[in-house]
Amino acid sequence: MAKSEPPIVKRSLFSWIFAGNLKYQILLLIVIIVMVGARVLPLEMQKRVINEAVKLRNLDLLLMYCGIYLAAVVFFSLLKYVTNVIQTLISQRTTARMRKALYHHILTLPLNFFRKTQPGTVVNALTNELTLPGNFVGMAVASPVTNLLTLLAFAVYLFWLNPLLAAVSLSIYPIVVFLIPLLQRGVNKANKKRVDAARKFSARIAESISGVHEIHGNGAYDIENRKYDSLVDRLLKIRIVWSLYRFAVKTANGFFTSLGPFLVFVLGGYLTIKGQLELGALVAFLSAQERLFEPWRELIEFYQVYQDGKINYTRTMEYFDVEPEHALKPKDREPMQLAGDVEVRDLSFVTNTGIRLLDGINISLTEGEHLALVGFSGSGKSTLAMCIGQLYKYTGGSVLIGNQEVSDLTKKDMVNNIGFVAQSPFIFDGTIEENILYSSLAKLDGNGRGGEEQRPSLDDVIAVLHQTGIFVDVLRFGLNAILTHEKNEALVNTIVKVRKNFQRDYGEDLADYVEFFNENKYLYYSSVAENLTFGAPNKSDFSDENLSRNNYFLRFLKTADLTRPLLSLGVTLCRQTVDILGNLPPDALFFEQSPINADELDDFKVLVEHLKRKKLHELEDGDHRKLLELALRFTPGVHKMAALPEILETLILEGRALFRENISKDDPEAFTFIQMSEYIYSQTILNNIFFGKTKTGNPQAQERINQSIIQLLIEEDLLETIIEIGMHYQVGTKGDKLSGGQQQKLAIARVFLKEPKILIMDEATSALDNRSQARIQNLLETRWKKKSTVVSVVHRLDTIKNFDKVAVMKAGKILEMGTYDELMARKGMLYELVGKK
Amino acid sequence: MSLLEKNNSTPSSEFEENLELLRQIYFFSGLPLETLKVFAYLCSREKFKQDEYIFSQDEDDGQAFYIISGQARLERRDNGETIGVREYKTGEFIGGLTLLGETKRLFSLKSATETTCLVLNREKFSKTMEQFPGLLAKIFNAVAKSIDTWEERFLSNRGDQCGECLNQLGVTLI
Repeated sequence: MAKSEPPIVKRSLFSWIFAGNLKYQILLLIVIIVMVGARVLPLEMQKRVINEAVKLRNLDLLLMYCGIYLAAVVFFSLLKYVTNVIQTLISQRTTARMRKALYHHILTLPLNFFRKTQPGTVVNALTNELTLPGNFVGMAVASPVTNLLTLLAFAVYLFWLNPLLAAVSLSIYPIVVFLIPLLQRGVNKANKKRVDAARKFSARIAESISGVHEIHGNGAYDIENRKYDSLVDRLLKIRIVWSLYRFAVKTANGFFTSLGPFLVFVLGGYLTIKGQLELGALVAFLSAQERLFEPWRELIEFYQVYQDGKINYTRTMEYFDVEPEHALKPKDREPMQLAGDVEVRDLSFVTNTGIRLLDGINISLTEGEHLALVGFSGSGKSTLAMCIGQLYKYTGGSVLIGNQEVSDLTKKDMVNNIGFVAQSPFIFDGTIEENILYSSLAKLDGNGRGGEEQRPSLDDVIAVLHQTGIFVDVLRFGLNAILTHEKNEALVNTIVKVRKNFQRDYGEDLADYVEFFNENKYLYYSSVAENLTFGAPNKSDFSDENLSRNNYFLRFLKTADLTRPLLSLGVTLCRQTVDILGNLPPDALFFEQSPINADELDDFKVLVEHLKRKKLHELEDGDHRKLLELALRFTPGVHKMAALPEILETLILEGRALFRENISKDDPEAFTFIQMSEYIYSQTILNNIFFGKTKTGNPQAQERINQSIIQLLIEEDLLETIIEIGMHYQVGTKGDKLSGGQQQKLAIARVFLKEPKILIMDEATSALDNRSQARIQNLLETRWKKKSTVVSVVHRLDTIKNFDKVAVMKAGKILEMGTYDELMARKGMLYELVGKK
Repeated sequence: MSLLEKNNSTPSSEFEENLELLRQIYFFSGLPLETLKVFAYLCSREKFKQDEYIFSQDEDDGQAFYIISGQARLERRDNGETIGVREYKTGEFIGGLTLLGETKRLFSLKSATETTCLVLNREKFSKTMEQFPGLLAKIFNAVAKSIDTWEERFLSNRGDQCGECLNQLGVTLI
């Protein structure tokens, strides 16, 4: 972060020009000075070619001047390229630095800032609005210096050629200098509006996309379209005005500067005719005059980039110019180790609009005491928890943690001592492991960039997984992992050994839930392709996705009389699935039991249309292939929209034997057939241990399977290995591959892992089932009592009996506080609440 | 609809059988075929061994059950004592209200014989209903009617024997 620099939002655009770019800018300056020389030289050569070489008819001179001319031009182009490279480097590096600094700043802004700010606004600011300012910084030295020097050099040269002519032809520029800023004011006004409109526009898009389920739910397409369209129209108008002004600047500039040659023709022509000017000088003059135009145009362009860039920059910075409520780190001391006492005195919290969310709150907790906050929603429980946790800045009274005023502490002080589990916790894209370590690493210096030694050990992590009950989920992720050939050889061998023990010890017990691989039986929980090949492909031509275009396999299907019946199965699957799912959104829930993936649905809809018009044999090859692919995926135990005809089942079983016979002869390396002694690389670890597939998703059955598997893994000393594999499971964006309960358990686990002195839980277990909730509650009571102070916002009153204190809140005030038994005996508010529940 | 035309040469799929079953359940009675098809596709079949719990008291399992075959016993545990409440037979539908919102089970259901159920859970139900705005009203209608019928029947059959519990009646008035 910034050392003594002002925050980015306070920095001027000019401050970026040299900061961090000094070396580049100096280098650029040197190159430019040389370059300007290289630019004027050809003009002189031009004059000499005509005046000396042509006039004297001297071929040697002509060749020499032309040679110098060419060398200068080549040299100039080279230098021009070098300046472009350096400029690009400067502008890109600056944009990147602005983006980083602004993002770093935005993350520290108070929570209520984000209540008013749509994600789209931030995205737009960081991606679009900083490009032009960056470009400006790249040009800031190069452009004015190059062009002014060039202009100056040309002007001096012109005066040297003919002062009168020079004065006349340069007389235009003052007019332009006067006129352009006038027009530019129009550009700026339009551009300011454009920046604001673009911000609203991005926010609108972000809002409607994140609320798209509501739009679908209400069929409110037109309402949203109207809102959006009107913003687009507004932006359109602004952009047109903006562009008109911009072009006006360009045109005016172009017009006036092209008046220059006109004056030179008139006056210069006259002087030459009168013999007062040499022809060579006139040619050189005209040429120099023409070349004035380019640096001048570039100057004007630079001026425009400067103006637009300045507006984009200041508008953006102004928008985010909000002070973070708390410093991130203490400046002149180490982060504090706080005691666990919490003292809340006459605390109040009033919103900007004057609503009093908390009023005269007094609480006193000694280290290790547990407090439950209860009350109806809107009573201020969460607000209070967030004030104690420094997430809201309270407006009156005080909160003392270990005798330190919370509002004076830095974020780092808080983070080192406090754990906060939010109401709807956020899980970030990444692995389970990354998410579990999130809070612990954040607590370390440099957020854990330092080294390995301070990180929590695997044992600690596993302990927390157990405590929060997410252990079984992680185990399952591990068991569902597919191992690759290269790594894991030792593990693979162990699993093959474990497989036998599993069948011996648990096989009978789980027979109802597992379909074991059996060479002589049709497997209803495996796909048609798996039933046919009965092995794991070792070559990519034979992988599931390529099977339907593998000629060898297609020929085999023909000889086994399978092509026709499989195509017709494909037709049934396609028709039925499109009929059922055709109008549903691509939610995983709807497509779990479908042979058609969500992203393929549209293709198959088209295929259904083809099927309406054509007979099966009239379809094109592409359609045949799709239908075949669908049939090959068909898994009767999962895809319930079609039944497997008995005759086809028999044919496939016969086909299995035939395929094995054929491929063993033709390409013995292509498959590893499924057998007890071999690891099956195409299957998950669990299926490999089972040597079969699970038949049911029923929670009770899952539970039984889990218990047997855990037992087995403990016996075989594999539990830790599988957990480690499970920890690498990717949770998806916002953790969307996890259930609500899993997300919440993970959020609790990551805070437990850092063992905070004070733990604040804001309805932290609301998405958990009874058992998991009881487990967490139990843990708080046994492991955390007397050690860590707990403030817990509670939504279910059956969990509060063992808290040291219960505070009942209503309308921002604490109505009563005491032990559960005291309050119940008093028959006040708590009694009433419990009764109601 | 082509779906419902039975063709004897091909066996009917589990989906088609589920669809037939759902059409007989009061809870879904107001729904159009298009929606029923989605439910028939999404629901699963679960087998329970004898004496296995189908759901347990105080849990929120969020599932509704239709007994395809077998029998189940409803139990209530109070102060550590378990009493049998009633039997459910093949063809009965249990737990429609669970689909509508979070509730803790007041009873446990245990299979009396080997039992196969058609199971639909709340997540699948609500995500599907989101896709068919307006239809929830039909479900509420069916539920309200069913509660009404229940209390009416209770009053006419047992109202006179109820005695003290009479002042607890009136579930239709919530």
